[in-house]
Amino acid sequence: MTSWILTITILSPVAGALLLMLPPYGDRASIRRSAVLYSLVTLGLTILALTRFYSIEEASDGAFVLMHELPWIVGESVEVVDMDGYLVEKPSIDISYRVGVDGISIWLVALTSFLMPLAILSSFTAIRERTREYYCLLLLLQAGLLGVFCAMDLLLFYVFFEFTLIPLFFLIGIWGGSQRRRAANKFFIYTLAGSVLLFAGIVYLSYYSYRTLGYVTLEIAELTRLGQGGYLPLDVQWWLFLAFAAGFAIKVPLFPVHTWLPLAHTEAPTAGSVILAGVLLKLGTYGFCRLSIPMFPDATFQLAPAVAVFAVIGIIYAALAAWVQSDVKKLVAYSSISHLGFCMLGLFSLKVAGVTGGVLYMINHGLSTAALFLIVGYIYERYHTRDIHEIGGLAKRMPWMAFFLIFFTLSSIGLPGLNGFVSEFLVLLATATSGQNSDGVGRGPLGYGYVIPAALGIILGATYMLWMCQRLLFGPLTEPANTPDTSAGLTADLTRREIGILVPIGLACIFLGVYPKPLLDTFESAARRNVLQSPFTYDFSDVRAPVIDIDDDHLATAVSANDLDVNGFYDSSGHGVGSIDAAQGIVRDAEIVSHASMTPALVGGGGRSRDD
Amino acid sequence: MTPETIEALRTYGLAILLAPLAGAIIAGAFGSKLLRDRTHWVSLLGVAGAFAAAVALFVTMQSAPVDARSVVIPIYDWITSGTNSVFRFELLIDPLTSVMLLTVTGISTLVVIYSRDYMRHHGTPEKGYERFFAYLALFVFSMCVLVLGGNFILLYVGWELVGLCSYLLIGFYYGRPAAAAAAKKAFLVNRVGDFGFGLGILLIYLTFGTLEYGAVFDLVRQGVTDSGAAIPDGRVTAIALLLLCGACGKSAQLPLHVWLPDAMEGPSPVSALIHAATMVTAGIYMIARCGAIFTASPVAMTVVATIGAATALFAATIALVQTDMKRILAYSTISQLGYMFLAIGVYAADSAMFHLFTHAFFKALLFLGAGSIMHAMGGVIDVRYFGGLRKLLPYTFITFLIGSLALAGFPLLSGFFSKDEIIHHALSVHPILGVIGLITAVLTAFYTFRMVFLAFFGPTRVPEGAVAHEAGRWMLLPLFVLSAGAIGAGYLGVEVTGKGFHHFLEPVFEHTFIAAGALHGAGHASVAHGGFWAEYWLMVLSGGLAIVSMIVAYVFYVRAPWIPGLVKASAAGVHRTLWNKYFVDEAYSLVVVEPARRIGKICVALDDYLIDGIVWFVTAVPRALAYALRTTQSGVLQGYGFSMVAGAAVIVVLVLWR
Repeated sequence: MTSWILTITILSPVAGALLLMLPPYGDRASIRRSAVLYSLVTLGLTILALTRFYSIEEASDGAFVLMHELPWIVGESVEVVDMDGYLVEKPSIDISYRVGVDGISIWLVALTSFLMPLAILSSFTAIRERTREYYCLLLLLQAGLLGVFCAMDLLLFYVFFEFTLIPLFFLIGIWGGSQRRRAANKFFIYTLAGSVLLFAGIVYLSYYSYRTLGYVTLEIAELTRLGQGGYLPLDVQWWLFLAFAAGFAIKVPLFPVHTWLPLAHTEAPTAGSVILAGVLLKLGTYGFCRLSIPMFPDATFQLAPAVAVFAVIGIIYAALAAWVQSDVKKLVAYSSISHLGFCMLGLFSLKVAGVTGGVLYMINHGLSTAALFLIVGYIYERYHTRDIHEIGGLAKRMPWMAFFLIFFTLSSIGLPGLNGFVSEFLVLLATATSGQNSDGVGRGPLGYGYVIPAALGIILGATYMLWMCQRLLFGPLTEPANTPDTSAGLTADLTRREIGILVPIGLACIFLGVYPKPLLDTFESAARRNVLQSPFTYDFSDVRAPVIDIDDDHLATAVSANDLDVNGFYDSSGHGVGSIDAAQGIVRDAEIVSHASMTPALVGGGGRSRDD
Repeated sequence: MTPETIEALRTYGLAILLAPLAGAIIAGAFGSKLLRDRTHWVSLLGVAGAFAAAVALFVTMQSAPVDARSVVIPIYDWITSGTNSVFRFELLIDPLTSVMLLTVTGISTLVVIYSRDYMRHHGTPEKGYERFFAYLALFVFSMCVLVLGGNFILLYVGWELVGLCSYLLIGFYYGRPAAAAAAKKAFLVNRVGDFGFGLGILLIYLTFGTLEYGAVFDLVRQGVTDSGAAIPDGRVTAIALLLLCGACGKSAQLPLHVWLPDAMEGPSPVSALIHAATMVTAGIYMIARCGAIFTASPVAMTVVATIGAATALFAATIALVQTDMKRILAYSTISQLGYMFLAIGVYAADSAMFHLFTHAFFKALLFLGAGSIMHAMGGVIDVRYFGGLRKLLPYTFITFLIGSLALAGFPLLSGFFSKDEIIHHALSVHPILGVIGLITAVLTAFYTFRMVFLAFFGPTRVPEGAVAHEAGRWMLLPLFVLSAGAIGAGYLGVEVTGKGFHHFLEPVFEHTFIAAGALHGAGHASVAHGGFWAEYWLMVLSGGLAIVSMIVAYVFYVRAPWIPGLVKASAAGVHRTLWNKYFVDEAYSLVVVEPARRIGKICVALDDYLIDGIVWFVTAVPRALAYALRTTQSGVLQGYGFSMVAGAAVIVVLVLWR
């Protein structure tokens, strides 16, 4: 059971979707009831997985647990030397269905499963046409999202990553606002363009794993060791980082590839926005944190300042843009861009506190922004407009809504005591101290200079959010004619259902603000073990020879040199042996090839000096 | 300290925090349905409970020896990131904390009592009655977090939370656009200050690797960072100036003073509690707490003193011409806070704290008195619309007069002692600072009594429709208590027995302000060590000036009311400038707000045209390709699907054949 729990969790929404599609078709009420039920089943499974996770000893050290593996594309087995220097049998192609979670991904899984029932509940009155298809797509989307966070195989990751596009494309395109076609297309093209580059990167990385290890593997753990062990030359790392970044930066979205987001958000139905902001954007930051940073450590270190500059520009740029929006939903959408800049800053500080804070930022942003989109949706359902000029003074009409809007605004602008503050604080702390070597993972690339503009972004964040509150809630009551529309069974203020959706999110915000330790502890161990494993020094002066580009001739020589019985403990023809030595030698120093010894010490200790 | 004492302090400390928090939560959760017009009891119980605990804490502390009255009490680990950065929820209890706690909880209790009647009209509670008391209790909790917190992050937490309460309470009458705008302005101007404050805290962490007060201050005094290296040049000054930004925001000092006058849109009890007696003094508390940092940087100290003196004078001049009583009092508060900054800047932190203490009494009294007038005048508080109220509101008049005398520095009332000390210290450091202090004292006495004479003397006038009535018992009780404080609090600072205010605080400032002050030749010791008569001449001078000033005000506004008009006409430009508060708001709008919004619009335009244009251009190639290659009438998706596969293939081929 333990090994299947993640698989069952990922598949449970798919099962739910299938059940919804099967006859007998019920009426609208029974469809949405079953949709909630199915999403609650997934939530239950997630809670089960979470308790399992916390019951496993290793999990607290940051290890991947609850692993489940099923062969998918597996070639004939070959004998190769693995990265520890042992001769092992490996399939020549090793692409499998592998899922597992560590302290970071388990909480993102939890976030997804937590938000989905709420998103479904929020659609009860808003979606009145083609409800069956709508809930099916939401559930399928959830399956894709859960898959991404659990995937331990790069191809599987990519499949899930891409799969999420399809349900969301239809959710926006069918149930969206007046410009839904344009928004859906823009969203699709943008993210697809990034994905293509990501895919190219994945193909190249698998090819490179073959050249280095002698077999094709897409196992994330293996590829991470490849990058961490220094098997990837710097220029290869650069290209791969850029290719991966193209896919992830668009998802985040990082300035300047963010322009799809405001349109997609404004046109998407409320539940779509909730999931889009709450979870989908985190695929980008999660990708950086799970793949780019650990797999391409040297390129990450070199490119981090550039990423951070874009993040900081995005923070301020999006905040200013948010301030002049008159469409409330667009304002919240721009605020997302601004906030995720902080998250990126934390991740790329390459400090334990920064990664921890960045991951917590993902959760916190997921909660507070989802709630803000829900509230905007509630307003829209009643007034059929989100224009700040047409509605105002709503605190009189909707006191409950006003309470929640202020509450989540405060959470969003980082008021201490609520969740946003903790992550913002950690992110800025880590960015400021990035250049110090205090947490055992070496010096990071950022510094105090990045904090100043980011802190400016905090002022602006408060500015536009409070401006929005003032316009929407305070002052004399302004409403368009014939509103609020209560034809769908709504009341002027929030209904119990709507309050019931916001309350759990609010409680989570308070809990994370007052006692974030349980999450921070798991994030921290996972960040140390899986994101920033080895203490990087990034002192490239240590590399004795310049990095040589791989070419086939060179490889051939290297292989032939190693066809000899190197250490005498095996005498197979072992083409894999040559590969690994060649790669080591090429990455580090041509001299190493001649005295390649198959000890782990060399693997870890060549070329790049460990941190002092 | 014995473990029993520490245990007792821990209990009291937690009680001070939890009682008002519980009050706030209960009032917020059950106020609207269950408690309704009884909500004030919950709030009062919480706040008074905190006051009782603060008294108990003070008494317990007295039992400890003088040099061992500082203790840090950890509660729980809040934010952790590995073993090296653990931020605890911990309480620091020392004489400074104790003084602040007594002031905060004491005044709060009185204000809650006062609000019971103030927030009613003819016996019926106002709309949002329970919300008001929930906010008040929440404020007390927040302020106690601020002063009890044992590290910089808790200081920041309290700092932000009181800002939130201030926001909520200023905007209490949210239906009024002016109130909503004032609330937002207060929050945002404070955020500007917090920008520096937050950066300062990060810089502390960057330099010292910790945010605990004790550890940071020890390192600063030793002049080393956590790794043992010398602190980089100018780092301490930078930290101090960044922290000062926050203090300027919270305590409404130049150039971030603009929010406080607007904050008077909130109910009067709020103005008394938050915007006069407690929250706005947080900046002074913070600088006093961080004495080790500030005194390590003479530059920062000079800046503090300069800002303080400039603000004191600046705000006092504006108060001369305003007609809204609450605004006059607001500018007066800014000016008095300026005095406190000035005091700290001349190494007299104990005098600053003393002035903070006495000011809390008489300014809260004045605001509550103004509230009583406003209550009687049907919401009008502009002195142009009423006058001669001393017959109609006799108790309010007497108490208001006492508060005014204390504020004006009338001899032997509380304000006289504390203000005099500050001027004395300022003179000993730099004559100009002292002279500014004296001039401000003259202006203070004048504008205070201008207000008194306009409101209470002359022919009786009330606004149309107002039924003037003296306040009820709930409102009068706090006025009487505060009057007693305004008269008597000053004598706590007169060091005859050697057990007074300054001696109590001495252990806190011993190694910081007192030591550094001696080094910089500030005449610190004279008052604190019984040199009561050493500054006799100054007392006579400032007391005399205050009295002269009051007499001038009497002549201007009672005997010969044509003079102010004449002065106004002969110096129209000056009057216009003062009336418009030196046009600072207008300047900020023109220089900061408008350009920022314009840039925002440019950003949106860039998104819509430049970036989207580039994207369109980039995608034009595959689109054209797909279009050309599309043979059947396929949908859009297939086209993109094709271009995706084709593009991927091209890239893979390129990579592999490289």
